[in-house]
Amino acid sequence: GDRTFLQEEEFRWLLHDEVHAVLRQLQDILKEASLRFTLPGSGTEGPAKQENFILGSCGTDQVKGVLTLQGDALSQADVNLKMPRNNQLLHFAFREDKQWKLQQIQDARNHVSQAIYLLTSRDESYQFKTGAEVLKLMDAVMLQLTRARNRLTTPATLTLPEIAASGLTRMFAPALPSDLLVNVYINLNKLCLTVYQLHALQPNSTKNFRPAGGAVLHSPGAMFEWGSQRLEVSHVHKVECVVPWLNDALVYFTVSLQLCQQLKDKVSVFSSYWSYRPF
Amino acid sequence: MRTSLQAVALWGQKAPPHSITAIMITDDQRTIVTGSQEGQLCLWNLSHELKISAKELLFGHSASVRCLARARDFSKQPYVVSAAENGEMCVWNVTNGQCVKKATLPYRHTAICYYHCSFRMTGEGWLLCCGEYQDVLIIDAKTLAVVHSFRSSQFPDWINCMCIVHSMRIQEDSLLVVSVAGELKVWDLSSSINSIQEKQDVYEKESKFLESLNCQTIRFCTYTERLLLVVFSKCWKVYDYCNFSLLLTEVSRNGQFFAGGEVIAAHRILIWTEDGHSYIYQLLNSGLSKSIYPSDGRGLKETIYPHLLCSTSVQENKSRPLVMGYMNERKEPFYKVLFSGEVSGRITLWHIPDVPVSKFDGSPREIPITTTWTLQDNFDKHDTMSQSIIDHFSGLEDGAGTAVVTSSEYIPSLDKLICGCEDGTIIITQALNAAKARLLEGGSLVKDSAPHKVLKGHYQSVTSLLYPHGLSSKLDQSWMLSGDLDSCVILWDIFTEEILHKFFLEAGPVTSLLMSPEKFKLRGDQIVCCVCSDHSVALLHLEGKSCLLHARKHLFPVKMIKWHPIENFLIVGCADDSVYIWEIETGTLERHETGERAQIILNCCDDSQLVKAESVLPVASETLKHKSLEQRSSSPYQLGPIPCPGLQVESSHKVADVKFFPRPFSVLPVKIKWSNVGFHILLFDLENLVELLLPTPLRDVDSSSSFCGGEVLRRAKSTVEKKTLTLRKSKTACGPLSAEAQAKPTTESLAQGDNTIKFSEENDVIKRQKKMKISKKMQPKPSKKVDASLTIDTAKLFLSCLLPWGVDKDLDYLCIKHLNILKLQGPVSLGLASNEAYFSLMLPGWDLCNTEMIKDCSGVNLFSRKVLDLSNKYTATLPNQVGIPRGLDNNCDFLQESNTLVYLLSRLFLVNKLVNMPLELACRVGSSFRMECVHKKVRSAGNDILNMSSFYNCSQNGKNASHVPEADLSLLKLISCWRDQSVQVTEAIQAVLLAEVQQHMKSLGKIPVNSQPVSGAENGNCEMKQMLPRLEWTEELELQCLRNTLPLQNSSRIPSTA
Repeated sequence: GDRTFLQEEEFRWLLHDEVHAVLRQLQDILKEASLRFTLPGSGTEGPAKQENFILGSCGTDQVKGVLTLQGDALSQADVNLKMPRNNQLLHFAFREDKQWKLQQIQDARNHVSQAIYLLTSRDESYQFKTGAEVLKLMDAVMLQLTRARNRLTTPATLTLPEIAASGLTRMFAPALPSDLLVNVYINLNKLCLTVYQLHALQPNSTKNFRPAGGAVLHSPGAMFEWGSQRLEVSHVHKVECVVPWLNDALVYFTVSLQLCQQLKDKVSVFSSYWSYRPF
Repeated sequence: MRTSLQAVALWGQKAPPHSITAIMITDDQRTIVTGSQEGQLCLWNLSHELKISAKELLFGHSASVRCLARARDFSKQPYVVSAAENGEMCVWNVTNGQCVKKATLPYRHTAICYYHCSFRMTGEGWLLCCGEYQDVLIIDAKTLAVVHSFRSSQFPDWINCMCIVHSMRIQEDSLLVVSVAGELKVWDLSSSINSIQEKQDVYEKESKFLESLNCQTIRFCTYTERLLLVVFSKCWKVYDYCNFSLLLTEVSRNGQFFAGGEVIAAHRILIWTEDGHSYIYQLLNSGLSKSIYPSDGRGLKETIYPHLLCSTSVQENKSRPLVMGYMNERKEPFYKVLFSGEVSGRITLWHIPDVPVSKFDGSPREIPITTTWTLQDNFDKHDTMSQSIIDHFSGLEDGAGTAVVTSSEYIPSLDKLICGCEDGTIIITQALNAAKARLLEGGSLVKDSAPHKVLKGHYQSVTSLLYPHGLSSKLDQSWMLSGDLDSCVILWDIFTEEILHKFFLEAGPVTSLLMSPEKFKLRGDQIVCCVCSDHSVALLHLEGKSCLLHARKHLFPVKMIKWHPIENFLIVGCADDSVYIWEIETGTLERHETGERAQIILNCCDDSQLVKAESVLPVASETLKHKSLEQRSSSPYQLGPIPCPGLQVESSHKVADVKFFPRPFSVLPVKIKWSNVGFHILLFDLENLVELLLPTPLRDVDSSSSFCGGEVLRRAKSTVEKKTLTLRKSKTACGPLSAEAQAKPTTESLAQGDNTIKFSEENDVIKRQKKMKISKKMQPKPSKKVDASLTIDTAKLFLSCLLPWGVDKDLDYLCIKHLNILKLQGPVSLGLASNEAYFSLMLPGWDLCNTEMIKDCSGVNLFSRKVLDLSNKYTATLPNQVGIPRGLDNNCDFLQESNTLVYLLSRLFLVNKLVNMPLELACRVGSSFRMECVHKKVRSAGNDILNMSSFYNCSQNGKNASHVPEADLSLLKLISCWRDQSVQVTEAIQAVLLAEVQQHMKSLGKIPVNSQPVSGAENGNCEMKQMLPRLEWTEELELQCLRNTLPLQNSSRIPSTA
């Protein structure tokens, strides 16, 4: 009757106009987000600009780091460490010729550009034929956005041998002392640097050797085997600094995810028309 | 893993949605393989005339399929690998639809290339993979384990696409890739094999920035070995392979997006776009450029320009995105084919002429569509095969049109199938009867006799169903809940058909109904949790007929429900990884958490319920999720790129739950993502069926010839007791060891505890209710009889489904007459379960894929042409006198009939076991420890057969005949031979069934020839072992199995000898 006719009309409008309006809005937001990641080729040609971040912790000042971020890469790092026992000051920095890719940022950036690509391939001229088609597109976009967000919010849980084997330890000149491990990662909107001080366990030690599993941040007392040696973490220093544009990006992700879900909800209201083709 | 599970699919009129995300044609141009967003793969038959017909749907992935690729040298093994959005990888045998190997790695692939270099490589070759991780991953094609990776020294990034370049000139293979940032990289392939195998890092040889983004394809011209075609979304470029200098850039017009391309001949290329258009260009040299750059250091710089020769015609209104591919002819009868798969599920083929030319006036010629096909076309064309399980009943109601089933639930304990329909009705039927009415000829007879109920209460499509008693035996047996599109939930009494209560929730369609776990109780009762599509959650108290809580604050779909028994909290996990904690008594939102904290909260309670709203298969397991998380931390994949953290099995589906109870017959409702289309799978457990049937003749023996029964039983008991150590408990329960076990076994395994089976409950209600009270303690006598006949009915339906009807009309008639089974209405969609979560189902019209070979028959339920061949071979090997047992006395028809059934089924079970054995082994080859396990496992499996059959020997008082060993041996060799030729289980079973039935029908006219009796089965076995000391253990085992099953044929002689 009348009711179904009106519903059909509304559904038609939804597929024809409303969906494209939302897609445009999403594109605008995500383009804004991708600018934060300085996507290569997205208008700003040439090398990405360098930003310096001074990392510290509110409590102690045993570790201080100045990290330089260039797009998704760490181009410079200066770390000062005050040894707790003798107050000796250690300083080490990146080799001039080397850059360290922050894979979390690279991945997040790539996920965003995939989401944008999904959206741009359905421009205004494209006619959505079923509600299911919109749901599938939204699911695909949301998958990319969720992954982009999760890449930033959940740093990799690494084991100590994994950190020791990572290329980051080989980035420094002069080489990092053998009793130090360094890890850099993104946690939410923060750039984090952790320095682990190690000491070797004596072979005849009465301590129970239990290798630690994977963790974002290991605590003192964590043990692991490296080469033929058994090592234990004696001190952990963590310093961090807020990266403002990461914060922006996360907000954009959340907003676009909500937009996607709202569009899905609108389409779902007409779920009885899933197989119905108004055009 | 129950390999004895046989499946039959009952599709509906609507084909399940198959939104194609990946497409390929196999090297022999006989099969098109597509992967879908829903997670299934589809195999399509491609005829010599380029006609398409869907053949088989493969289930296994729980997420969208991202890419497909060849996984072996196709002429040797027809294997294809598929990779899903969540890191799952499967290797499929595309001739039989079996999943050969599966793995879930923490990497998401977007493209895979198979690489094998026979003279430098051992093993089956590599799968070179790229995707949402840095650089190129090398995965072993056989084990699916990560071998190593190709690494970038500069600008490591995700790789978009790749191609393998094999140059005849320099006899060297290279890998060319383009990264998402547009960086072209080249790795030496054939010369790095050793370094890769020694796990050394291999870095790129060359790299070049291509200055364009979104690379879609990179292709090397094998004809000239000179040109390189790179297609980006907004332009395509041609490079000189020698120095990577740019020769040509063609930018897209009218906002088109390029999606791929191929070099189809020297200087001739094919480019396709995202909306399904494609263009063939001739690349022409322009002489001009030579004069423009005469002073170029490297000599003359040529440029080329494209000339459009042809374009393909396109159907309007294509659904996007679509995936396309091109396949070149390799040998004579093959074609150059351009193919596309759409999100709507449509496949389109264009036959590309060998020499594409433009029209005389120079304008482009249009290449017409050669074929186009969808899954739905298969369903429309073969509508007898595409009726749903309840079409018969719904048709009865209004005569016009059939109801679309929108939700369904199977109650094993009552063998009832509840189907909610689009028009709001709910139909409750006896599942076995419904299946018979749907499948068999003369179904109308069954239909009339098959009682069914129609519940009318909903005015909108029924979206979800729940039978509480099935989850907790403490709950009322008569309760059933249904939810509809209008968020109305009805509590029914399924026996009286009364509406007990209607809940109106005003929250959009009900997406799922869940029961709180047994340990969680509120006001002394378990409560029902109702998830609605406006993301709200309502808690319903059934006893109080009230809604306790309606939690409405969730912004994202509800993914997980957890219960906190002590503090009466309801914990709701949403799709955006946030968590809401609700206090049930007060109905207040206690906490809302996101991120890490949310994860911790969700992980702290163990009994989580996954909301199965969008799952492919209804049974989801939570354990897998946690497992995959644990595995990650200690992942051995250090060598490759860093795995994507947070990548976990998002949801997993299994055909058979861990808690799967052996049941001879059950129905599995399946629902596909993003649609309201569902279908049903009938599952026959061959092993369980044989177990249940075996006691039957004995019981009858007991009653018909009482004076020998006692003796038989005592002997039986003593022999079986010797072997109780090897028997599992469930088995003992099923074996008729003692007098009291006789009454129980079938009911125990069928009803699972105290559920009483009331197959006759269609009688009036009062009678039923009385019975229910009594039956709690006392088993009413007749029900045992009913069980037995139910088992027989199941067996008959199973045989009906398997018999190759229509091959031999006389045989069909004899089967109907003597086996007392009904003919199929048409070919059935058989299924093959590789294991609990991986199975394939034939689609309506699959039989036509064979008709090319058998021209004269149509509507023949023949699994493949091979079956006839195999069957003949089997018959030839059968010893002459071997036949199916038949009572000499014509009076005991039922006895004879059931004996025949038992014999046939045990035969099929045996064949099934034998053919499946190497699969089990193949899956676990590698570590000797595991080999041992399998060894034991198979042995014990064999022992089961041994026990069953040796029990039989004894029941015959040791008077059974031994069989000519040569004949046994040759049968056994034959079956092992089939196994080695990778004959499918279904083929083997059908062939053996055909041969045995033929043999049986032949023997009906003859008087069976008695062979010499031999003292005992055990002795026989020993002799056999001594005779054949050099036999492999498996063969030895098979021999035992076979030997011990053969004597079955004589079982019916007991009454006559007595």
